[in-house]
Amino acid sequence: MAGFVTRREFLNLLGAAGGTSAALRAGSALGLLPVTKTAKALDLFALGTNSKKVAILGGGLSGLTVAYELGKRGYECTILEASHRCGGRVFTVRNGDLIDEIGNRHYCEFDDDPHMYFNGGAARIPSFHNNLLAYCKELDVELEVFVGENNNAYFQDDAFLGGKPVRIKDYKTNVRGFLAEMLAKSMSEQEMNEPFTELEAENLLSIIRSFGDLREDGVYTGSSRSGYKAEGYTAHGVQKDIIEFRDLLKSRLGGRTMSASEGEQGPPLFQAKDGMDNIIAGFLRVVGQEVKYRAMVSAINVTNNGVEITYDQDGVRHSLNADYCFSCIPTHLITGLDHNFPADYVKAMKYVRRGDAYKAAFQAKERFWEKEDIYGGITRMNNRSSSIWYPSGGIHKNKGVILAAYNFQGGMYYTNMTQEERIESHIKDGEKVHSNYRSLVEKPVTIAWHRMNHMLGCAARWNRSFSGWTAEEQLMFDTLQKPVNGRHYVIGDQITVHAAWMESAIQSAHWAMEDLDKRVRAELA
Amino acid sequence: MNRMRLIIPLVFMFSLQSMKSNAAEENEPYDDRYCTTCHGADGRGNYGVQAPRLAGMEGWYLKRQLESYRAGLRGVHPRDIEGVAMQPMAAKLTDESIADIIEWVGNWEYRPSEATIGGDAMVGRQFYNACATCHGAEGEGNQGLGAPALAGQNDWYLVTQLKNFVAGYRGNLPGDTYGQQMSIMARTLASEEDIVNVVSYINTLGKGE
Repeated sequence: MAGFVTRREFLNLLGAAGGTSAALRAGSALGLLPVTKTAKALDLFALGTNSKKVAILGGGLSGLTVAYELGKRGYECTILEASHRCGGRVFTVRNGDLIDEIGNRHYCEFDDDPHMYFNGGAARIPSFHNNLLAYCKELDVELEVFVGENNNAYFQDDAFLGGKPVRIKDYKTNVRGFLAEMLAKSMSEQEMNEPFTELEAENLLSIIRSFGDLREDGVYTGSSRSGYKAEGYTAHGVQKDIIEFRDLLKSRLGGRTMSASEGEQGPPLFQAKDGMDNIIAGFLRVVGQEVKYRAMVSAINVTNNGVEITYDQDGVRHSLNADYCFSCIPTHLITGLDHNFPADYVKAMKYVRRGDAYKAAFQAKERFWEKEDIYGGITRMNNRSSSIWYPSGGIHKNKGVILAAYNFQGGMYYTNMTQEERIESHIKDGEKVHSNYRSLVEKPVTIAWHRMNHMLGCAARWNRSFSGWTAEEQLMFDTLQKPVNGRHYVIGDQITVHAAWMESAIQSAHWAMEDLDKRVRAELA
Repeated sequence: MNRMRLIIPLVFMFSLQSMKSNAAEENEPYDDRYCTTCHGADGRGNYGVQAPRLAGMEGWYLKRQLESYRAGLRGVHPRDIEGVAMQPMAAKLTDESIADIIEWVGNWEYRPSEATIGGDAMVGRQFYNACATCHGAEGEGNQGLGAPALAGQNDWYLVTQLKNFVAGYRGNLPGDTYGQQMSIMARTLASEEDIVNVVSYINTLGKGE
């Protein structure tokens, strides 16, 4: 039986690859998460009677963080924002908003109601992104829970059960049952018992049984965790049929679903109430007067004692001289400006690749998901649209906005389509989960970050290999993180090893300001 | 005219700024002058998004290319990555927008691009003899023959385009007469080394302007 292994052989394979201890170590893979630490109280020197001018290029979250913190210490900040709005990829779309995708500009036509919005970029705040949470508190940005994990949402794969959607709880409960049964059986083998004391072995078996909801004898016979086929309140519930183990293994979506709500995407998650850009609005309540909109930088000239910026606004060329410059312009756009940066700095900027994440949303004419016991959370599909996100807020109102597609790694597939083709694809994908989807959704918006004006990319990609960063990549990163002449800093999540999170943008800004602070203290000492 | 169209809403916009804290205005207006996002400050090209220099490009050539993109004669082969990115950006342009863009681009100062590739210009010179027939001995272009200037263009862009012509990613559609001509000529370059060498020679041209 070439190409097949028995269950017993599979366990032997596990053993050959390092046995139980290897499996235990694998469980600590979440150690890849950045270290959690409490929000940093920035100890920056207050200028007092000294005067320093700062040019901030780009009104993204990192730029606003710099304006806010340095403003508090008496720096005179000017923010040049190329587009019509601040926030960059913290972008909430509401009625009348322009989605400025070059070649596919469109306005959002959602109903004008506070809960009718779509977070086209940043959408989730983990509970341990402390610096971001601290700013939300400080700036009086109201937060609410974001429902990410919802086992009542659907799991759909054309390769699985003939494409019939099942609840995530059906998939997970059965996978856990069979996995646990395999483990429980392996635990009954004397040789597998050896690494454990009797108590440890007993507790491990208890955990395994609980993990999979096994019978006392270690056999999986289905579980009420996935709900009942019928009844269950005033009459005894009728257990659902087990999904055969072999059927569960038909879907490539399984692994992704089992890990989808772990780590940074695990509960509890938060969002800013009525739209993530309320975080941006919070910063702008303090520094909004310092922003020049539609001010597009054309040149950056670093001198021995400052930075000379040239920018265009209202068809007029302006210049701005500052002591320091913080730029959250994406690196792939800085390369198109006139500048006098050193060659190794430019080499690093040319190396970074731009992400191509893609999102789409529909207005739903009615909250059809609530009729299917779904309140918030994410349906997982093994197709290009990938996900349907149901709104966490607006429960039981008449309408809602749902995310219709989110393709983080392979967004070019949709980016290269016309608006009509994109929408049709999402409808076709969604119909496999909600049969009358086509008639229930309207007023689409699509956001292809690779083509968004003044950004042309989503999260920066520094490393090109799955095996991690090369020494050369690390060197280029270190080069770009450091200021030119102590005057020009590149900031943003693009200058972190953990792009695509608001916390990263903030920590990049903090890193740069602390570096600046040492220089300013030395100069004024 | 178009500049006025932009300025009037902008003036109006700032009076409304306080109404919406994080955006300049409700129902944000826009025009089609968005070239510099990709093509860099004053259209001098941007390696970061592989968008070529427009400053100094002849108006007639720019017009033909924008119309070719719009008509689906360029930027449709899936392997023409940069062309595929450009095509939808031109697809919705009106004749008036194209005329406005050409006027706008015409205002940008021409500066030759920096050399970034390291081929053998003396070897490339021999290949260039064939190019010179249409593109001119100094790479200055020839409108009568429909051949654009090459001197001063970003070398990495010329290399990509020659490769695309050779591979049939550009210049392979009926109706794209000039592209088809160029595709035939490009195929006389047998290897990537030949391409890099001939572009290295082009890098030596027209620097006196």
